[in-house]
Amino acid sequence: MRLRDAARVIRSKNAGPTQVTIDLMFDDEKLYARALRAASLKPAVVAQRYGVAEAEVIPYPAANAIKIVIPRRVIAGSPGDTDVYGAQQHRPMLDVEI
Amino acid sequence: MSNFGRVIDKWQRERGPLRILSASGQLGYGIAEKAFRAGLERDLHLIGADMGSVDPGPYYLGSGKLATAYRTTKRDLKFCLTGALERKVPLIIGTAGTAGGNVHLEQTLAIVREIAREERLTFKLATISAEMPRDLIKAKARAGKIAPIGPIGTLTEQDVDAAACIVGQMGTEAFIRAIAEEPDVIIAGRACDTAIYASLPAKLGFPIGPALQMAKIIECASLCCEGGGRDAMLGTLEGESFILESMNPIRRATPMSVAAHGLYEQADPLSVAEPEGVLHLEDSKFEAVDERRCRVSGGRWVPTDRFSVKIEGATRVGARAIMVAGSTDPVFIEKSDEIAASVEAMVRELVPPKPERPYQMIFRFYGKGVVGMQPVTRLPEEVGVIVECIGEDEEEARAVAATAKQYLLHAPFPGRISTAGNLGFPFTPPELTAGDAYRFSIYHIMQVDELAPLFPVRIEQVGG
Repeated sequence: MRLRDAARVIRSKNAGPTQVTIDLMFDDEKLYARALRAASLKPAVVAQRYGVAEAEVIPYPAANAIKIVIPRRVIAGSPGDTDVYGAQQHRPMLDVEI
Repeated sequence: MSNFGRVIDKWQRERGPLRILSASGQLGYGIAEKAFRAGLERDLHLIGADMGSVDPGPYYLGSGKLATAYRTTKRDLKFCLTGALERKVPLIIGTAGTAGGNVHLEQTLAIVREIAREERLTFKLATISAEMPRDLIKAKARAGKIAPIGPIGTLTEQDVDAAACIVGQMGTEAFIRAIAEEPDVIIAGRACDTAIYASLPAKLGFPIGPALQMAKIIECASLCCEGGGRDAMLGTLEGESFILESMNPIRRATPMSVAAHGLYEQADPLSVAEPEGVLHLEDSKFEAVDERRCRVSGGRWVPTDRFSVKIEGATRVGARAIMVAGSTDPVFIEKSDEIAASVEAMVRELVPPKPERPYQMIFRFYGKGVVGMQPVTRLPEEVGVIVECIGEDEEEARAVAATAKQYLLHAPFPGRISTAGNLGFPFTPPELTAGDAYRFSIYHIMQVDELAPLFPVRIEQVGG
């Protein structure tokens, strides 16, 4: 199952100018649990998908959600940046299989 | 009696819950009027508004300019000032002027004084500045008391000297000191958005955990509701719990929508670091009061005696000019990277870079994986093109952008069919100067022994 079919919300945004956070929210507790178990959402796999050294994957059961935190490749707004707010960094997650 | 004095007095007589209205999460972009006016009818103890953030990037902190337009900023400030003063409700505005430096605070105060003149308002104003003393930062850096937040380098003395502006985020401590002066209105430089709403409850002796938890949610106005929203949000602080209600009747704060909001723009959804301690949210409970109000509890406050201040600084990197165009030619689109390299070489020949300070050129072909910095699997039918130059000054940057425009338009390449021009321009001139360019050079956490000297309070009588 693709993440875009399983999750209600897949979004990204800066958490300060040095990090981007990606939120995955599920309507269904079962889909949340399934995503949490998926090999494709282990930190090392996510990091590789984004081409960064490391990623954090944080479960947030209160909202059936998973938070991913990755370092920004360019600090927000520095020369060479392409997404100052980090609001368009969700796409690599859309087709992830869980 | 001042409005802070009056409300404190009233609460000490009546006790009971504290009703706090968040007028806006982004003052200056246009407060939703109807919901704000509905909120004013709720017998409020405080109106708050957040006016800034690091989100819009380093330009505003560095340049001293506001992100919001003068006329919309004035409109929103007028709503807040007249609404609060007519009903004798205290008002707190945090992170004045987008970035919260002294120049941002002063521009905000100039608009406030203008409104006071036009509307014949008189009030006692407390302002709190947030620019950090550079000698202190250097001393703290030498003493190893400054750590980077995320991937940004160790802070050096050169970073401190080169920064155009350095601010620190004040917490509840600074606002409580300002409230003690019994003003009507508090306008602060760079501030934790939580402190705007949590300082009056803290001053009155409410438990800090729930107060900060409520503050963290309502600072984004109605964003915690289903489907979001920017309407004013009412937080009713009961003590160990609080109730959330949007002032737009169509917006519903549900246990799920409020819980989900805890993720927003936070690297860690379970703890929030403040200068005076840490708010822990692992034990949060969300219960429906009815279909559009939610009761929240569980925020746990762990104070510290090792204060820390988040510091932010922006440094000028040069002057920026850009060239905007598009292309539909399949061969150009396919070979755009090689063509860009040849054009860059040509430009560097015609506009020789200064060896001691070479300019920077960045080519972006939108449609070929620019935004996500990820390669695309197939080529698009058209691309957007931005050529950016960051040069020493505006004249150099514009010279590079204009020359790049001409040579990208006419660049030859193998297989070229469309020999009259490679680009379509949406307007003229296609090259535009964009003022100075900045980068965040400081985004660090600084340990300090005392908070008060960093955030001085100043009292002023406005009008009258």
